[in-house]
Amino acid sequence: MKHLKPLNAKAELMDAANNPEARADVVAMQSVVGCASTTDPGWEVDAFGGVAGLCQPMEADLYGCADPCWWPAQVPDLMNSYPDWDQNAPSADKDWRNLDAVFPKSRS
Amino acid sequence: MKKAHIWPALCLALMPFLPAQANEALLRHNCGACHADPANPEAPLSRISEQRKSPEGWEMTLHRMQTIHGVQLSDPDGKSDSAGVLFQLLKHLSDTHGLAPAETVGLRYTLERRHNTVDIPEDAEYAVMCTRCHSNARVALQRRTEPEWRNLIHFHLAQFPTTEYQIGGRDREWFPIAIERTLPMLAAAFPLQTAEWEAWQKAAKPALAGRWRVTGRMAGKGDFNGVMTATAGNADSYSVALVGEFSGGEPLEMEGDSVVYTGFEWRGNLRADAAGDKEQYLQVLEASADGSALTGRMFPFDHPERGIDLQARRDDGTPRLLAVSPAYLKRGTTATLTVSGSALSGAPLLGAGLTVNRIVSRDADRVVLEVTAAADAPTGARTIGVGKASLPAALTVFSTVERVEVSPAYTVGRVGGKEGSQPEVQGRFEAIAWTNGPDGTPGTADDLRIGPVKAQWSVAPWNEKAAKDRDIEFAGSIDKDSGIFAPAAAGPNPARKQSTNNAGNLKVIATVGEGESAVRGEGQLLVTVQRWINPPLW
Repeated sequence: MKHLKPLNAKAELMDAANNPEARADVVAMQSVVGCASTTDPGWEVDAFGGVAGLCQPMEADLYGCADPCWWPAQVPDLMNSYPDWDQNAPSADKDWRNLDAVFPKSRS
Repeated sequence: MKKAHIWPALCLALMPFLPAQANEALLRHNCGACHADPANPEAPLSRISEQRKSPEGWEMTLHRMQTIHGVQLSDPDGKSDSAGVLFQLLKHLSDTHGLAPAETVGLRYTLERRHNTVDIPEDAEYAVMCTRCHSNARVALQRRTEPEWRNLIHFHLAQFPTTEYQIGGRDREWFPIAIERTLPMLAAAFPLQTAEWEAWQKAAKPALAGRWRVTGRMAGKGDFNGVMTATAGNADSYSVALVGEFSGGEPLEMEGDSVVYTGFEWRGNLRADAAGDKEQYLQVLEASADGSALTGRMFPFDHPERGIDLQARRDDGTPRLLAVSPAYLKRGTTATLTVSGSALSGAPLLGAGLTVNRIVSRDADRVVLEVTAAADAPTGARTIGVGKASLPAALTVFSTVERVEVSPAYTVGRVGGKEGSQPEVQGRFEAIAWTNGPDGTPGTADDLRIGPVKAQWSVAPWNEKAAKDRDIEFAGSIDKDSGIFAPAAAGPNPARKQSTNNAGNLKVIATVGEGESAVRGEGQLLVTVQRWINPPLW
């Protein structure tokens, strides 16, 4: 990579990701309790320790995450555990306000 | 929508006192249809008999049985509703298949919902296999037989198949690694039978009724000082009253109940109804084996980030000094110090270079002093005393703030708020002042920690990308005096590029002092998106 120079923002990110020191920092940052350290592309944190690489907006691909159980600790999966989670929100972009937490159950 | 919790005070009020035998019968009634294993007297309830967990761990299991497997909890005698049965099962399982205090050491951060914690397991492979979704503590607060750990691996693969094809799964032979390396490691590190559990089962469990002197701290509000009274009820339950105030003068008055699980896991449910605060607060405290101390955290159910670190010491009439607030004094200045303890009497003993100008007020719980530090008072942490009571390293005398650390140095806030189901998660910061010590070099062993001090707070873009995306305009705002960051609303924002969320990558800046003598510290706050799975243990 030393003979190649990034020409756009995405290439700059890829270049940065090749830096071992930067990678070590990123690993440390992604290990905050409750945050997924799986970064394809990341739920809370992207592969570069920021948020610019996450789905934008998150709602645009929310069911693409929920359907295949992509973030099982953050997003209820429709595949096995919570098949009805989205029943009141056919469009995540428009109806995200109707998506409820799955734990604990509402008792009020 | 407000969420209730499975430890409501109502359950305590209605809960009949049931002996262990009756609870075991209730367990078999509700769980035995699937889990009874009469062929195995060592583990009569398959899977259940082969695990031990924290109360929160059992709560999550019971919840999963209801949600995924449709379990309808019932009382054959008709005395309890399903919520009451769930509570009784939770108590019984925690008492009979819980964890010993020693088995929770270093792992209580997740029980106490300290979501700022950065936990990086030393074992890189374990980090990829388990902690890419979970905290280390969520795993390590379980004890299982080897077959049970194996079942857990199989469960993950069946229930959450992404385990194998996400990054961290598809780039390795996940299942062979899980079975051949992770399974033996878990079975050896966290076995069902341990000497700690055997000893704790035999140990006398402390009674926790009484008067407790409570000290603590809450970011944004300051030091806490109060009294908690616990009155014993049925089956390890207590009625609780907590009265106190923060160092800024804000009072706190709460009432509620608590239950003690496994002999030492205090879980209180308190409300500040008198102050018009309708939020339900949870106390997660660990009782010391001798019953003299309770240590942990208290926070609103919906906002674990708004927590108070608490230390409670039983007031048994012994003179004790518990805290000094503020716990620092600058050379050549005069300040009012509150010395907290129990059964305090006698003269204040502050050591060389400090003069008590006057005693502002005093009683057995606290002595308020106006104190002047001489310009040449010895610097460093020193013992403070009142009569027969003393506390080492209770007060730090310093000359100059030379360095400021933002705490937490890195944390995650989340968008949220009124429009959606998930409340926002604030960032709450403190400015920790230091001197560089005699060698004048920061970060060396002789540095002197002064403590949390007042600061002026601001935010800035963390990097060029955050500046280009104007993150600080959208992600929320920080209160310049309290250091509390309030994230913006959830949902797509049409005012942003691609209508993206109000996420942001921010530098949090604390400025202590003014003009040329001002010292700055910096931390990082990622404001990110909400999550909809919020179990007790992350």
